[in-house]
Amino acid sequence: MGDFIKHPFVDAPDRNPAPLIPGDQLVFTSEEKKQIQTWISRYPTADGAIMRALWLAQEKFSFLPPEVIKLVAEEVGIPYANAYGVATFYTQYFKEKKGKHVLDVCTCFSCQLCGGYDMLHYIEEKLGVHKGETTKDGLFTVQEAECLGACGTAPMLQITNGTFVHNLNKDKVDALLDALREGKMPAFTSVTLPQDEDEMGGNRRTDVNSVESYIVPPVSETVS
Amino acid sequence: MEEKKTKAGDWRSYQRVLLPPVKDLHKLDVYEKHEGYKALREVLTTDKWDPTSVTNEVKKSGLKGRGGAGFPTGLKWSFMPPVDPNIPRFLCCNGDESEPGTFKDRQLMEYNPHLVFEGMLIASYAMSIKTGYLYIRGEFADWITLMEEELEKAYAKGYVGKNIMGSGFSCEIVIHKGAGAYICGEESSLMSSLEGQRAYPRVKPPFPAQKGVWGYPTTINNVETLTCVPLIINKGGEWFSKIGASSHPGPVLYGISGHVNRPGVFEYPTGMLISDLIDEVAGGMRGGKKLKALIPGGSSTPILRADQIVGVTMDADSLRDAGSMMGTSGMLIMDEDVDIVSWLRRITQFYHHESCGQCTPCREGTGWLENIVTRLDEGNGQLRDLDILLDLCTQMEGRTVCALADAAAWPIRYTIDRFRSEFEAKCRPENVPSGGVLETA
Ligand SMILES: Cc1cc2nc3c(=O)[nH]c(=O)nc-3n(C[C@H](O)[C@H](O)[C@H](O)COP(=O)(O)O)c2cc1C
Ligand code: SF4
Ligand code: FES
Repeated sequence: MGDFIKHPFVDAPDRNPAPLIPGDQLVFTSEEKKQIQTWISRYPTADGAIMRALWLAQEKFSFLPPEVIKLVAEEVGIPYANAYGVATFYTQYFKEKKGKHVLDVCTCFSCQLCGGYDMLHYIEEKLGVHKGETTKDGLFTVQEAECLGACGTAPMLQITNGTFVHNLNKDKVDALLDALREGKMPAFTSVTLPQDEDEMGGNRRTDVNSVESYIVPPVSETVS
Repeated sequence: MEEKKTKAGDWRSYQRVLLPPVKDLHKLDVYEKHEGYKALREVLTTDKWDPTSVTNEVKKSGLKGRGGAGFPTGLKWSFMPPVDPNIPRFLCCNGDESEPGTFKDRQLMEYNPHLVFEGMLIASYAMSIKTGYLYIRGEFADWITLMEEELEKAYAKGYVGKNIMGSGFSCEIVIHKGAGAYICGEESSLMSSLEGQRAYPRVKPPFPAQKGVWGYPTTINNVETLTCVPLIINKGGEWFSKIGASSHPGPVLYGISGHVNRPGVFEYPTGMLISDLIDEVAGGMRGGKKLKALIPGGSSTPILRADQIVGVTMDADSLRDAGSMMGTSGMLIMDEDVDIVSWLRRITQFYHHESCGQCTPCREGTGWLENIVTRLDEGNGQLRDLDILLDLCTQMEGRTVCALADAAAWPIRYTIDRFRSEFEAKCRPENVPSGGVLETA
């Protein structure tokens, strides 16, 4: 409570920090350049492609320090300031180095009521870090996320801006962390509509795993 | 139990159309077997249809936007200025879906992506648009990959692109990947984001139909809204207007989450009794608990107490009379154990985090709301904090560029209005349970 009025001093970011990515690695391959050009061709002005280009850079370099943003801006052909503004506006672009796997645990609204905080705190305890921090081995970063659009399967989390893991409970978290440590990413799961139980025919996708656990919903410990 | 007559009619035998029970419907060949792209073919290749008659059919259907505001879709389309061959025009399909409690568009993109494309193409034809952008939030990365695969197939088969089905009509669809910002769902912010800027909303007017993306005429519709369009063409506007509540017709995806036995997305007509949705559709309250409150359509729609939903149906009129809104029909069901103040605190945190920071009442106001509700939740509040909160809400509502400030103020206003005793109980320290649901860490 004490910090209700207190505002922390924040240092202005260094305008020209020492580069974190060595210069010889700071290039796009010709294929990547071609991909960026394809994206540019889909918009009336090159600016439209900046978000996709930043995504590509983030996948390549794992995060977006200023020198990477500069590289992207040059490739797309827009001012660095614009690209920097975009990169810093959106939460999914990582401005600093994160763990190999970023766990975005949703604690918003529905997930809160279904035990999202239980899951967040369980993960924090298991990994020995607070939200926003990275484990010492550099494997995991734990973050608190806003609604990820999967409230029907709350509580849930997302792994490094990718796969969703639905209907979390402690066993599932244990299994997930073990699998990630072994380098195994969970498969994309298709959330079968409850309305679609098999006797009704179902509109399942057969090309992805489905989730059955809605039948026995995980019940949160603190709330219901 | 005695059978109640509802606006949704005989909903138990309702046949789904947006998410029909067809396995692998996302695959193009399966979709083609189930009337896929039939509406588009009819619109493009028969004399029955021209852009005006398509718009009129949509008007006749009574379709209202499913993105939150519930604006009549046909009317919105007719706001587009007359065609000028030198001025490009754009369609944006809003798949940002970040309103907490809303998760229906994702289901459409997962199970029926071609219906989304078909809807976009028919809408583009009706407004003589040559490029449609499908904006999908960045968190849906897996779904974007799936959609792009399917889009490629649709291109290869000539359903999208140049000279579609030899009709001379060309239309491109571009999938734009967001990167995590709630505000991008707001239409003018979505346009800024598409243009590769920070996603700041813009002052309206000018409205998108006059000055939209890159300054050109633009129409923005929600994913679910556009998926209704091929159905309207296939079965007629009149068929559509007879489904569900007459003033707000059509099939709708109810996203039910929270303390129910079977949370999920359910397709039914509008005008469903809320009690039917909870007790039958969603399998009843979890653990046999009592209902305490619910949110009918995403976090910014006003909360309703259990005693306020008796006889209330899910359509714009009935919900307005009950003191709430249809919103996105993402319903959150809360049982008797929920601590309303702690829950509200999490919502204020959400809006504080997501405010884009352009307008002072919103940037500062959402922070103050969060601080004060946090103080109340922790048991350090005073009674007059409630008045401060309500005063703050008044100063935020309607004074900003976009409606996020209103969306942030309403939950506070209505929750205090409807659960005042819970706030008062928390003001006295001896009544505060240690910690509450939320913890400060
Ligand atoms: C703060 C804010 C967030 C919004 N988020 C969304 C969203 O995530 N998805 C959506 O479809 N509409 C959203 N809207 C509504 C859009 O601005 C717009 O009204 C809607 O996409 C229009 O489509 P419709 O006419 O088909 O409903 C939001 C509006 C506001 C003010
Ligand atoms: S109301 Fe809030 S979110 Fe909307 S433009 Fe103003 S500061 Fe940004
Ligand atoms: S609240 Fe967690 S996914 Fe919506």
